[in-house]
Amino acid sequence: MNIGTIGHVDHGKTTLTAAITKVLSTKGGAKFTDYAQIDKAPEEKARGITINSAHVEYETDNRHYGHIDCPGHADYIKNMITGAAQMDGAIIVVSATDGQMPQTREHLLLARQVGIKKLVVFINKVDQISDPEMLELVDMEMRDLLSTYNFDGDNTPIVMGSALAALNGADPERGEKKIEELVKACDEWLELPPRDLEKPFLMPVEDVFSISGRGTVATGRVERGTALKGDDVEIVGLGAHFKTTLTGIEMFHKELDRGEAGDNMGALLRGVKREQLRRGQVIIAPGSMKPVTKFQAQIYVLTKEEGGRYTPFMDNYRPQLFLRTADITVGLHWPEGTADAAEKMVMPGDNVELVCELVHDVAAEVGSRFTLREGGKTVGTGIVTKILSS
Amino acid sequence: MFRPRHAALNALRHYSTPAEKPSLKLVAELRKRTEVSITKAREALSASGNDVDAALTWLENDLAVSGAKKAAKVSDRTAGEGLIGVSVLSSGTGSQNGAGKGGVRAAIVELNCETDFVARNELFGKLLADIAHTAAFIADVDEQATSYIRPIPLDLLLDAPLVSQTAPSQSQGTVGTAIRDTIAKVGEKIALARVAAVATNPIPKTSQDLGLRLATYAHGSVNLSSQGRIASLALIGLKSPRLTTLLTTDAFLKDLEKFERSLARQIVGFDTRSIRPATDAPDETALYDQPFSMLPTDEKVRNVLTQWAREKNLVSDEDGEDTGGLEVLEFARWQLGKAT
Repeated sequence: MNIGTIGHVDHGKTTLTAAITKVLSTKGGAKFTDYAQIDKAPEEKARGITINSAHVEYETDNRHYGHIDCPGHADYIKNMITGAAQMDGAIIVVSATDGQMPQTREHLLLARQVGIKKLVVFINKVDQISDPEMLELVDMEMRDLLSTYNFDGDNTPIVMGSALAALNGADPERGEKKIEELVKACDEWLELPPRDLEKPFLMPVEDVFSISGRGTVATGRVERGTALKGDDVEIVGLGAHFKTTLTGIEMFHKELDRGEAGDNMGALLRGVKREQLRRGQVIIAPGSMKPVTKFQAQIYVLTKEEGGRYTPFMDNYRPQLFLRTADITVGLHWPEGTADAAEKMVMPGDNVELVCELVHDVAAEVGSRFTLREGGKTVGTGIVTKILSS
Repeated sequence: MFRPRHAALNALRHYSTPAEKPSLKLVAELRKRTEVSITKAREALSASGNDVDAALTWLENDLAVSGAKKAAKVSDRTAGEGLIGVSVLSSGTGSQNGAGKGGVRAAIVELNCETDFVARNELFGKLLADIAHTAAFIADVDEQATSYIRPIPLDLLLDAPLVSQTAPSQSQGTVGTAIRDTIAKVGEKIALARVAAVATNPIPKTSQDLGLRLATYAHGSVNLSSQGRIASLALIGLKSPRLTTLLTTDAFLKDLEKFERSLARQIVGFDTRSIRPATDAPDETALYDQPFSMLPTDEKVRNVLTQWAREKNLVSDEDGEDTGGLEVLEFARWQLGKAT
């Protein structure tokens, strides 16, 4: 799973990240990455979009973590939209000497916005505080603030230690042991996202063939879940919404009984005519997804440097929306209730929440990612945040 | 005989004991009221014998010292984030309110910080709004100057008393101390990058066919619509024999304001660098050569200006040759981090 560190520049999030890799490296769960390597936050490209973020990886006894550290709000948002490093949880770092700061609110709002439901808090620099009562106050204030922003303030683990001590190997009570405690808190409190294999079956239709004597076969790459020969499935999208049975699974001209996430397979469908199937539809476990025509999405608009537009656009801009194998014209609008919607513009480089109205229905759900294209170039990329109508 | 001595000793001991330990509740209360760090809140209460009011005074006095220290500590860091803020005190000819009614008075300010988290915070937004307000307030009218929008020296603004936008009478310190106080609260470097302002007297009664107005726009606002990552301030000139009458018509004024907003937006939306192209070659960095994409039209800005003036009766065939219209006279388009 992916986690990130969020905190004030002086509160030691980079030191903490380095300390985690150090402590876990002694157990063989990580490669020690020092402060300077993490602090740089190299520029990288994801779906053509430039993002500043540093990555480290480490393993506990139970889990593998991808850990990201970004310099700013905008970078975390881009990570979320592109799915480059979707954060499933986060560690909020707060210094005991300052306590939470005005911008800690912005940190929690960001966590909410990128869809994080559970956090772990690390109170850093406790070695600089002589009065344990003050630590109680930091704890109390933090729980209060967490609750204000709809996190579980009462039960969120708050670990108090010194990242620097852990990094220097000094004071193991406040250093190393606290890092171990923090990692354990992540293991126990943060929830693993379901793996692709455990999710309901979904295969986007890429191509359709009719094979004489056998019937209609749809081919595609299984995005998630597993399907067995004989399973009931549903075809959704581009006006279709019907059930059928998966009578055969074929891979590399071999008949198989089972297909799973990652497989390129052909699906033989009972009683389906070739005309009923089209690229852009999906074959899914019945009821696991609905066709939608209108949803709200968080969208990043590519800059000219990223190959996107160089001029702004207004309400009712109509590019092509690509979602899995589907390619549909979409009208982009400001969400209902936006003041002066007719006058508002979107510029390249903007992160915006917009309503997408499709001319045809497509199978989508909250968290589905898509790109927007116009005249052969990618102008935006987005993630569905709310389904408005099906 | 022993007794009084004992009492005296007791008193002595009392004096020599360290100040009372501050209670958690008071530290929490102090933090709610001032947003100071835990360490500072505790220090303040210790020094003032657990009296919140005294601690507030202590903090205020301390802020000058500790704020300056903090500011010095962060001064060599890079502040590449922040916001551009615009403040309009008077939008020019026909404006119904504001100081110097009828004249033009406004400012545009770029204020930097280190992360966009701080830039999104209310404290930062309020500081910027107050600074922009102050800059517009102190701008001098200079009839001899060659341009309307003129830079204000940063030192001059930093030393100016802060004129708060929301509570004009409450202000005490200067722009410089206000920045310093915010640094103490958010712990990031905050620095003024650039400031410009425009200030003119109302157009004299002898030239009532002329008008001077302001249009502004800020893109990428989080909390306040007058602040964003790119902003524009444009000066618009009007000329018509019917101007006085038109400007007292609500419908015309409303249309004009809407049109001005779209011009300010157009300047921001495109990479606008000049008003007219330098040569005959098409140039989309020149405002008048751009397609006016803020309106549902493909026409160039130049043509839309002419059409609009005719439609709204600024210009009429009866007026004869070259009697009026609407022109963009000057503009500032500022993008975060692109100060030259």
